[in-house]
Amino acid sequence: MAPIDTWRLPPRGVLLAAVLLLVVAEVGGASMSRYKLELARWARTGMLAHPDVHGLVGVRDVDERTLDEALFRFDAGLRLFHMHAEGMALVVIASTTVVTTLARSTLPRRALIFLLTVGGVGYPLGYLIWSALIPAYGVERSKAIAEWLVWIPFGGATILGLLWLAGLTAALLARR
Amino acid sequence: MRRPPLVVVFVAILVIAFGELGGAVLSQLRPATTRWAAARIAANPQVHGLTGSPEYDDTVREQTVFATEAGLSFFHTHAEGTGLVLFFAATLVASVVRPRALRGVLYALLTVGALFPLGYLFYAFAVLQLGRETGIEIAETWVLTPLGASAIVGLIGLAVVLARREPAAAPGGR
Repeated sequence: MAPIDTWRLPPRGVLLAAVLLLVVAEVGGASMSRYKLELARWARTGMLAHPDVHGLVGVRDVDERTLDEALFRFDAGLRLFHMHAEGMALVVIASTTVVTTLARSTLPRRALIFLLTVGGVGYPLGYLIWSALIPAYGVERSKAIAEWLVWIPFGGATILGLLWLAGLTAALLARR
Repeated sequence: MRRPPLVVVFVAILVIAFGELGGAVLSQLRPATTRWAAARIAANPQVHGLTGSPEYDDTVREQTVFATEAGLSFFHTHAEGTGLVLFFAATLVASVVRPRALRGVLYALLTVGALFPLGYLFYAFAVLQLGRETGIEIAETWVLTPLGASAIVGLIGLAVVLARREPAAAPGGR
């Protein structure tokens, strides 16, 4: 049986998750701009409350440089969340549309949709978690937490899903 | 919406997958990548114009390693974008372009254009092998410009078709 030549929409829950991710990304971008000072103040207060974590020594010249560096990373995490959430939402829509249209067997189709949706929606949240943890845990420790808690499992799910989908598409191409 | 040919879908998914993979590799192996790039520069001292003066050589090394990392980073970001551009633009081509030959030409242009991020991979390796200036010039002239131009021409072609297309008849024949 030849693959159908019109796109099939993925399940509504998948589309809803992707659209919500887009909304959160847009709101995140707008909030970053609107509340830039408040966010920086919150992060700075958090860092000053954890001087040991950030290696603050009590010398203003030295500490300001350390705080600026950590604030730069805090801001970078928020920006990366905004960018990745926008991109991944579109990746989820595109890739699950391909899966829904081309994967005929129920089990692989469901597994692929699960991997791509959960991976794609979850991955960008890692950047938000990274930023949120920086004041209390420091740049490197919070990065390690985000990496093991979010980036590796969710990013891994997306990569696995996309490579599987590429293989599935290649197999269909080879069969023609 | 109509589905573009499988080969176009395959390239779109593959480019996005490589973009994701590239980002993961870049993030996990950054120190190793930096060390490897520095070793490649040290192995080609003449190409990079190293003089033996530590201060000057360090500056050259830093700039070249930065260019390599920038190439890998651009590969990651562009691959995610161009894969999606191919997916959505090719779907529009499949749905609105009627002449088969024109459809084929637009698919070909957009598919080749989606390979644009490979130019940044080439860029990353070329600066190490050929020196920063020469590597960037060759990557831009021979890889990035032709692939990027292909995407631009394909998208302009699609825009022209959309601009000239008569609106579809409303349901019920009105």
